[in-house]
Amino acid sequence: MVIKEQFIVTKRYRSISMLLMAVGILAIIALYIAHGSKSDPKEQARFWGSLLQNSVYFLLLVNTAMFFICSTILSWGGWQMSFRRVTEAISACVPVIGVICAAILFAIVFGNNHEIYRWADARVVNEDEIIQFKSGFLNKGFFVGWTIFTIGSWALIGWKMRKLSHSLDEKPLESVEAGKKYMWKTTVWSAIYIVVFALTVLSSTPWLWLMSIDAHWFSTMYSWYTFGSTYVAGIALITLFVVFLKNNDYLELTNQEHLHDLGKFIFAFSIFWAYLWFDQFMLIWYANIPEETTYFRPRGYGIYSGIFWLMFIINFVGPILILMSRGSKRNYATITFVSISMVFGHWLDFFQMVFPGPNPDKVPMILYDFGVALGFAGLIMYVTGRALSRSPLIIRNHPLIKESIIHHT
Amino acid sequence: MSLLRYESQVRPPLVVGDKDYHQVTEDVCRPVEARPTKLWWIGFIISVLLLCFGIFSVYREVTYGVGQWNLNRTNGWGWDITNFVWWIGIGHAGTLISAILLLFRQGWRTGVNRAAEAMTIFAVMCAGQFPIWHMGRVWDAFFVLPYPNTRGPLWPNFNSALLWDVFAISTYFTVSVLFWYSGLIPDVATLRDRAKKKWRKLFYGITAVGWTGSTKHWQRLEALALVLAGLSTPLVLSVHTIVSFDFATSVVPGWHTTIFPPYFVAGAVFSGFAMVQTLLLVTRKVLNLEEYITIEHIDVMNKIILLTGSIVGIAYLTELFVAWYSANPYENFAFWDTRANLNSPYGWAYYCMMSCNVLFPQIFWIRKMRRNLLVTFFMSVIVNIGMWFERFVIIVTSVHRDYLPSAWGPYYSPTIWEVGFYLGTFGLFFTCYFLFVKFFPVVAFAEIKHILKKSGESYKNNMAELEHESMEDFANIHGHDHGA
Repeated sequence: MVIKEQFIVTKRYRSISMLLMAVGILAIIALYIAHGSKSDPKEQARFWGSLLQNSVYFLLLVNTAMFFICSTILSWGGWQMSFRRVTEAISACVPVIGVICAAILFAIVFGNNHEIYRWADARVVNEDEIIQFKSGFLNKGFFVGWTIFTIGSWALIGWKMRKLSHSLDEKPLESVEAGKKYMWKTTVWSAIYIVVFALTVLSSTPWLWLMSIDAHWFSTMYSWYTFGSTYVAGIALITLFVVFLKNNDYLELTNQEHLHDLGKFIFAFSIFWAYLWFDQFMLIWYANIPEETTYFRPRGYGIYSGIFWLMFIINFVGPILILMSRGSKRNYATITFVSISMVFGHWLDFFQMVFPGPNPDKVPMILYDFGVALGFAGLIMYVTGRALSRSPLIIRNHPLIKESIIHHT
Repeated sequence: MSLLRYESQVRPPLVVGDKDYHQVTEDVCRPVEARPTKLWWIGFIISVLLLCFGIFSVYREVTYGVGQWNLNRTNGWGWDITNFVWWIGIGHAGTLISAILLLFRQGWRTGVNRAAEAMTIFAVMCAGQFPIWHMGRVWDAFFVLPYPNTRGPLWPNFNSALLWDVFAISTYFTVSVLFWYSGLIPDVATLRDRAKKKWRKLFYGITAVGWTGSTKHWQRLEALALVLAGLSTPLVLSVHTIVSFDFATSVVPGWHTTIFPPYFVAGAVFSGFAMVQTLLLVTRKVLNLEEYITIEHIDVMNKIILLTGSIVGIAYLTELFVAWYSANPYENFAFWDTRANLNSPYGWAYYCMMSCNVLFPQIFWIRKMRRNLLVTFFMSVIVNIGMWFERFVIIVTSVHRDYLPSAWGPYYSPTIWEVGFYLGTFGLFFTCYFLFVKFFPVVAFAEIKHILKKSGESYKNNMAELEHESMEDFANIHGHDHGA
């Protein structure tokens, strides 16, 4: 077996990613002309809302790759080693999209438009008792500090993890003892990452970035729900890159068994997402307390209901029916279809999480946002492709790589 | 199927010692075939006595009514429902191990799954007692079942989370029993084949349902295990989710919060694993099974305890934060004035819960502690005390003070009959466990044999040379086509 270790970014790959980025920039320009440049604050918020939704969604999406790496390290998974480098390459997008996302978030917080984050408006805070009460948490200083901590620590630990992985390429592990030591080192860093992840994604960060859009509303489930959403979409993104590389004759050691397990992950976590969705929705619906139901009123019953239920069908009904059988998880066509629909479906989920706040009266024309999303997709393609081409595609010296070679589900 | 059974040398072996198949059978069957020891008799008799006390406590309650308990006007639920949720939670580890870890292909589950599954069944049996006897007029218990009745339009309330409980728990119990029993069949068949006495032949003959160990039987059994695992994976989540709905669907501050379902599940796995540790640490020692339930198993389970304990911790902090963030005075009262306030009547219980569930388990970040038997045993008990307090805190602190100060109930503490009922369920649990240990193999040895040639110490040593093969050679020799 000859193993192609070097991924080469083809001209076609690069042009497609450039083209997509160009579409994204055009969409942003068009969105700015159509809405952002208007004097009406609601129109402006439409523009910023799109940037917020896309940047936060895609940042959480690529960050999932590092979560996947760290959680499998901590649980001593061996099967994913044959495509470990793919997940590492996706996580290399975190610093890039992180900077973009932070810039957008700060622009919204410090700009003149307060339709999205009403708590950032001093006048509103003065008049609104509830927001005033929350100002210990919802204030610009904490927002900025925590955002920098969040993105900075993801980027930093991610970089460290990738470095640890690349160190194996030059310096093979000489003995089993050295292998154990290496495992221990990665375990420690993964544990640190998971703790940071728990303090950010699983709790405070989604409250700040997303939940505070509906500044009066609250739900303890919110951050876990956001995690569920981006985790399943993140696995779908990994799957898409694996399939792409397989189709281009890379990743010889990855086969249907690995694809099957990725499919299982998508299947399981789409149900997990639906579980969290149901818990949050049903408990609020059942108790029927006005302070809480305000969130679901525009989404489940108002003008956003079409998108709300459509995304539920895409994100839950689709994968559970399609991925139930063994064959569909091992079939490139079906797994690609489901993966794309997952990335899109959870993007829709974020759309309905963001927009009913600033745009309660009219559902924005979603094509603009889709254009922006394509731009981010191009960016992810570009950065991931570059990262892939810079190191061998196979982590050949890892102590668990041989387990991955003979893996069967 | 992979032709080569290989795992990396960096993984510690799951079966220690130079074992062959026969040795495994001998090691596990010995305690079942030997006469019960003195220690067994002492434990068994204490359990039965506790059970008797429990039966007497329940007799008092049934005869004289729920007034035998200290429940009062605002504390309609007290020890009974606390204990119910506590036992149900404990019953979660078994199915998690047998179902989810089977789907995740975790080899280490084979050492502990049998005992954990048995524990699950006994814990659910204990849990079921509490809502049944709490009904007061227990002779009307069948009212919860939806059946064509003579009471006209009077049906169980399908909108009630309490009724969902009836379905969830009975389903869970059924599937857990099936899982446990179907896994037992090959082992019981071995006992049958080894049996010398007539009654043993008869007993194990019946329970082995004609198992011959043919390929066809194995094929069917493994298919069944996968189907049951698929069925019970959602059940692991659904049961405690629905138990959490008992609280969260209400509008009681402190009960109504959306994070309840997943965090109840995490807490259940947390306490379930703690109970598995408590039982197995003793069992492995008494029955000399240290080579099958190794220190690695204990280490791994302590990691799960650390993980789930921390998930529960994040949930507690989230609740506290959001109670404040909601700017809702009732939420603030429930969490900050009642629970997190050490000077409130039950503040001590809240801090008990916080330290036992969140603070103390953090000790398991240290590898040495995870592998220390004494620490593990101590912590496993601490965790279950903490989890008991969690349910007590949720139930009692939320209801003991109603909205109007005039409706603040008197301080609730249990009567001897409430405590007796709880002790009685310990009696029931341990009576069952002692009988189980005596009559059935505590370790699923047919499954141990399945992983022996991959994870057994001596077999791993034989495979050490594979580590030196280059990746390409390894892939060429042992890799196989999976249709790319």
